[in-house]
Amino acid sequence: MNEWVVPEIDLEICTRCGACVEECPARAVEMGPDGPFIARPEDCTYCAQCDAICPQGAITVAFEIVWGA
Amino acid sequence: MAIRADPRALEDLRGASLLAGLSDEALACLAQAAIRRTYAVGEVIIVEGDPCRVAYFIARGRVRVFRTSPSGREQVLSRLGPGQAFNTVPPFLPHGRNHATVQAITPVILYAVPAEDLRRLVLECPELALALLHDFAERLDHLTDLAESLSLQTVRGRLARFLLEHAEAGQVTRRWTQEEIAAHLGTVRDVVGRTLRAFAEAGLIRLDRQRIVLLDREGLEEEAGR
Repeated sequence: MNEWVVPEIDLEICTRCGACVEECPARAVEMGPDGPFIARPEDCTYCAQCDAICPQGAITVAFEIVWGA
Repeated sequence: MAIRADPRALEDLRGASLLAGLSDEALACLAQAAIRRTYAVGEVIIVEGDPCRVAYFIARGRVRVFRTSPSGREQVLSRLGPGQAFNTVPPFLPHGRNHATVQAITPVILYAVPAEDLRRLVLECPELALALLHDFAERLDHLTDLAESLSLQTVRGRLARFLLEHAEAGQVTRRWTQEEIAAHLGTVRDVVGRTLRAFAEAGLIRLDRQRIVLLDREGLEEEAGR
């Protein structure tokens, strides 16, 4: 199981607006010196709110579509 | 007759998927008409509804393509990057207009081909004409299927059909964001998210970290048939 898979943040596109930090319901995102990052991967629920709120589309929360066993 | 084009333009245009397979001569024809333009982050490149004057090929950077509803809400249709093109259809329509607004989300380098030059080149260069026709045919094919499913199916049905058609077993070759799924289905991201959660609550799928796991084929087929 992909326990520690987290959203991907493209810091080239990111404008450091901080919306993802504010909106993360699990408070897993923090603003670092280089930009936002998932500070607490264990708290991230992969809910994709950061993907939805980012005005630049800098955050990718992607899914595989697979058959269950 | 040899056609002299900017080598930088040739190199950049060669990366466009629409132009893949063109001979050097055909590519040089287009490159000779193309004007290199740069845009800073946030700059608007074209505005929805304005008369179409130029087709664009992206060499570097990324742009977002969006429409604005009467209430002012922006709906992002797609995000494009190097090798992709936009505004290639309106030049071939009388009084063609830009289908959407396009804005740079990183520093961008584009090659702009004036609409009248594109029309002239299509007459002069059959290879280019065929490449454009191929692209238009693929889009028309997709849109025809989409129009049919939009008129005959609900979002739930379209999403169920999408999941059934794209589920993979074994080695996974593709991952999807909710925005990509929404664009494919002709809806918006929020609706995809809500519908996925509804499917999960109904036991049709399970939403794991990074995975949409299909659990109930029969149930999804039933949804897809609605």
